[in-house]
Amino acid sequence: MAQIDDNYPTPTSTSQKSTIALLVKPDPSTKPTPIQSGILDVNLHLGYLGRHLLQGLPARYTSQDASQPWLLFWSFQSLSLLKVELDQGNKHKAAEGILAMQNTTEGGFGGGPGQAAHLLPTYAAVCSLAIVGAPDPSIPEFVSPWTRIDRRALYRLFLSLKQPDGSFRVSSNGEVDVRGVYCLLAVAKLLNMMTEELVRGTKEWVKGCQTYEGGFASAAISIGENRWAPLGEAHGGYTFCALAAWVLLDLEFPSSPSGLQLNLRNLRRWLVQMQGGKDELYGFRGRTNKLVDGCYSWWVGGCFQLLDKLELRDDAQTPDVIWNPEGLKEYILYAAQHPAGGLRDKPPKSADMYHTLYNLAGLSAAQYACQSAKASTSTTTLPNSSDSPSQSRSSSETPSLTSSVSSASASSTQAQASSTPRTTLTPQPPPSPSLNATDPLFNLTKTHAEAMMNWFREEHGEDFR
Amino acid sequence: MTEPTRYADRPEWSDVAPIEQYENTNPLAPIFYTNEYKDATNYFRGIVKIGEKSERVLELTEHIIRLNPAHYTAWQYRYETLIAIDSDLGKELKLMDELAITHLKTYQVWHHRRLLMLKIRKPFPELEFIARTFKVDAKNYHTWSYRQWLLAYFNDDELWGAELDFVEDLLYADIRNNSAWHHRFFTVFQSGVHEGEEDRERVLKREMIYVKQSISLVPNNASAWNYLRGILEQSSTPYSKMITFVEPYTLSMDEQTADLVDLDNPPPSKGAHLPCALAIEFLADIYEVQGGESMLKATELWKSLGNEHDVARKKYWEYRIREGLRALQA
Repeated sequence: MAQIDDNYPTPTSTSQKSTIALLVKPDPSTKPTPIQSGILDVNLHLGYLGRHLLQGLPARYTSQDASQPWLLFWSFQSLSLLKVELDQGNKHKAAEGILAMQNTTEGGFGGGPGQAAHLLPTYAAVCSLAIVGAPDPSIPEFVSPWTRIDRRALYRLFLSLKQPDGSFRVSSNGEVDVRGVYCLLAVAKLLNMMTEELVRGTKEWVKGCQTYEGGFASAAISIGENRWAPLGEAHGGYTFCALAAWVLLDLEFPSSPSGLQLNLRNLRRWLVQMQGGKDELYGFRGRTNKLVDGCYSWWVGGCFQLLDKLELRDDAQTPDVIWNPEGLKEYILYAAQHPAGGLRDKPPKSADMYHTLYNLAGLSAAQYACQSAKASTSTTTLPNSSDSPSQSRSSSETPSLTSSVSSASASSTQAQASSTPRTTLTPQPPPSPSLNATDPLFNLTKTHAEAMMNWFREEHGEDFR
Repeated sequence: MTEPTRYADRPEWSDVAPIEQYENTNPLAPIFYTNEYKDATNYFRGIVKIGEKSERVLELTEHIIRLNPAHYTAWQYRYETLIAIDSDLGKELKLMDELAITHLKTYQVWHHRRLLMLKIRKPFPELEFIARTFKVDAKNYHTWSYRQWLLAYFNDDELWGAELDFVEDLLYADIRNNSAWHHRFFTVFQSGVHEGEEDRERVLKREMIYVKQSISLVPNNASAWNYLRGILEQSSTPYSKMITFVEPYTLSMDEQTADLVDLDNPPPSKGAHLPCALAIEFLADIYEVQGGESMLKATELWKSLGNEHDVARKKYWEYRIREGLRALQA
């Protein structure tokens, strides 16, 4: 809801106000660039990604020295969403670089060569290999780098990090949190290593992270028999990790209806409450009363697809769209795209690889949610008041009402969710190119995720124990 | 110390063979490290390889951590070294006081602190230290979860003693600080029953008054409404108990009836922006549970949210209407 301060300013409402001032859509009368028109500037972002991958990263990225597999994953998955594939030479280089970060004594991957094994870079490394390392049947002499992932050592590492309460440390002596648990489960699923032994007690612990607000905290501490206290408030990033972890577990080891369940009603409410109003260009925040940030486009925006996976085991069903994907596009396209390429938290910040991926993934989720919303026929739609958003939404899909628009926009998914009255409808920009869909369990394309899962299932069943 | 001398130029390090990160390869997305960082991490890899745990390893890892506090391997190796050489952990904690403030948003500074605390086992001064860091950032996630861990882990009555006053100060400074609201919930309802809080009925009543007064002062504060929902659910109190309190907030300022002061149901403040969407949602939840005829009242409220008071979430309100009508038919 629009942020209203009840004439009672506090530090929270003051910083909210100054953020809103930065989130402006350009005046439609000026001569706009693609970004100012709300179109995804694919070439600009490809340039940004290519520059970083091939030429390298300035010294300020030293803070990411222990996250090198992440830098690669953010780049490769951004390219995948933009439907771009690396050439064989760079794929090879990428795979060699990642395998150099495999920790040969501990198992798993580190943040760089010679760094300790850690669950987070392990996820990023395995997902990167899913993108660049698939076996190519047309080149029989090509040995896939997937053969060089040491699953035995990895499984031993996983078990060594397991805690009695069902959670996992991220590394030897490292912290326990849902990021690590999610990363471990995603990797275990991709590499066909999800055993009952590995995940015993994990569901209970994940459930313990759900807070009274509905979203999830970073971790939970046991305070007695089956009682947990979440450490920290509900948070978008942790909520994504917890929910994805839960879904990964539930698909493998379903809870009986009377068994362990999340409070989905509160979760749904909290997720939609994270979406900002018109004055925030419908971006997502990560916690109650905090500021919107482009990365939550995925961490919160991606959760809705996870809920669909949990509730609709049958792919043929059309999911209910309960959030505002049309709106989210405005935030990503107008506010999160950086004029020099890459995407960002919010203006006037600079772009970085992390925000580039999670904005693009959020945009992909929004595009596909808009399609389901259209495909869905059995929905109750509120009767429109004269200038309600669904009015302008349906108008924008009717070419005759949007003057001087190219015919391409008839199928535009670029409709405005603002409450612009019909009489002042501005010409709609042509649609942004559609991105590849991303599987919310991994944030990989379906093709990449399935290829890896199938290969490890068929070629290397149980040989990790 | 002026310019940090490179380890490569220091005779006391000449027995360590530095190891380059990448030999004979040029990786994708290379980082252009400074020479100082490259030199220090080359020697660190050399040290890890030979497994040395010594005083100079503390110097080296501190150097790396200052250049890149997210270098978890340096932290991990530092911790193992501290334990191996039986170093003074109190001194280490002092160093952490400084590093925590400069690198507030780094996981490792807080986790290292937790490892130290598990050995030192003196949680009291920590509360004071944490309170100081909240002056820099009162919503820092790591700090809050560290504080909650500290309290729950050591779980000492005296440790909990001043927690409620502490939260109250923070909420006084910013009534919208959701971290503080969460901490209140954690302290009062989610960490066991603390000394002086045994009369749960009294505690619930106190919290109810507290949150209602907070809403009365600033109605459009999602944190407070979430807290109210949280304590009702926690205590299995039906939302309908709140109907008299909530209704005025669903009306416009003009529709407010100037009534006698009712301490159980404080009215919206004069500056409030009404009607308050969070209140309309709450009232609809009450009607939904009542079912039957009331379900239609709920759908009317959801409609008003979707069309007028909370248009951005129109699809969610449409979903609530569908679910409500489905429940009615069932």
